Amino acid sequence: MFWRKQRAAIARFHPLHQALIHQRGFTVSLRRDDWEPVIRSLAGHAAQVRRAKWRPPSRAGAVLVPLLRVLAADMRPDGVLSVAADLRGMEVPDKNGTPHPMPVQHPVLSAEQWWAMDPWLRMRAELRDGSVLELAVTDRTRRRRIRKRNPRGKIKTKVKSKTVHMVSVTRRLPKDAAVRRPGSAPPGWVRVRVRPGSRTVIRASGKLPGAPTEERLMEAILHVSTEPFRWTPPGTTGRAAR
Amino acid sequence: MDAARHDGQGGAMTPCDVTTGFFVLGRCGRPAVTGCPQCGRPVCGEHAAPQGGHCPECLAALGHGSRDPHDPSWVAGYRRRHYERTSETYNDTTWYSSFDAYDRGAFEPGSGYTYDEGDFGSDGTGFVDS
Repeated sequence: MFWRKQRAAIARFHPLHQALIHQRGFTVSLRRDDWEPVIRSLAGHAAQVRRAKWRPPSRAGAVLVPLLRVLAADMRPDGVLSVAADLRGMEVPDKNGTPHPMPVQHPVLSAEQWWAMDPWLRMRAELRDGSVLELAVTDRTRRRRIRKRNPRGKIKTKVKSKTVHMVSVTRRLPKDAAVRRPGSAPPGWVRVRVRPGSRTVIRASGKLPGAPTEERLMEAILHVSTEPFRWTPPGTTGRAAR
Repeated sequence: MDAARHDGQGGAMTPCDVTTGFFVLGRCGRPAVTGCPQCGRPVCGEHAAPQGGHCPECLAALGHGSRDPHDPSWVAGYRRRHYERTSETYNDTTWYSSFDAYDRGAFEPGSGYTYDEGDFGSDGTGFVDS
């Protein structure tokens, strides 16, 4: 059998690491410390498996692992961190909507447009101050397929796409936690909504146009995630400061 | 409990003063085994660098912090960069100073910030009141 040693190495990886390789995603809830073996297994991938086909999705190492580290740093050992990662990409048929025809004029023969929605990451973490953080990242892509005839009679097809990364972060504060409006407004691309009550809920959402690098995308996710924490001064929300 | 903690044998214990967490900041609080040669704050065995015994903050400031998120020590180095950048993004100087004040708390005993139980869990094992 080909690739025998690398197949054996994959069989020794953590089951969630294997799921990232074969199914390109997973949905699981684990305690904080149970994520460490997953990250350690992913860290050792390149040294044992070189075949590109079996490489984990690049977003796993560039976005998912840093977010796991950040959220785990704010959790108690018994806190539960849930992750639903679907890193199959935008090409999967069930993420693409139905194409709709668009009005055209010469020399365009036909044009159709459809939307693709890819909710590729959802996370939920029970933080050590008693609040609960929910994070969701969705890629929304507009796609157009255009057929046109050139002056020599050739028919050519163009496909265009435009993607927006939508990040939503919700923090549900512990009961009767003190809330203080931040001194400065968030940047224009971040929107904040606050639902007061015994457990205040702060939701920040942001849209990132274009195709940022994975590192920039991870930074932007953390920038949006920062907003709900600006509403509570450090050391005031609960158990971490008691 | 009083801010001055004691170990199981009744002797005075110096807690590790390294800042933990990313958004929800706290103190490590484990028993310190050494002092950071750069800033002097007490550091526990887990947070002291294997060579030199620097605290994670000073290690990052010296440029020796890990850039690989798979490394458990990556968070400590990345946290300061993140707070710097988000202070600019949000045009909020108090955001960064809140972290900075927390981090400088090691030099301001009795500044009002309290210790959490770090990675010991909530049962407080190893700590007794004086």
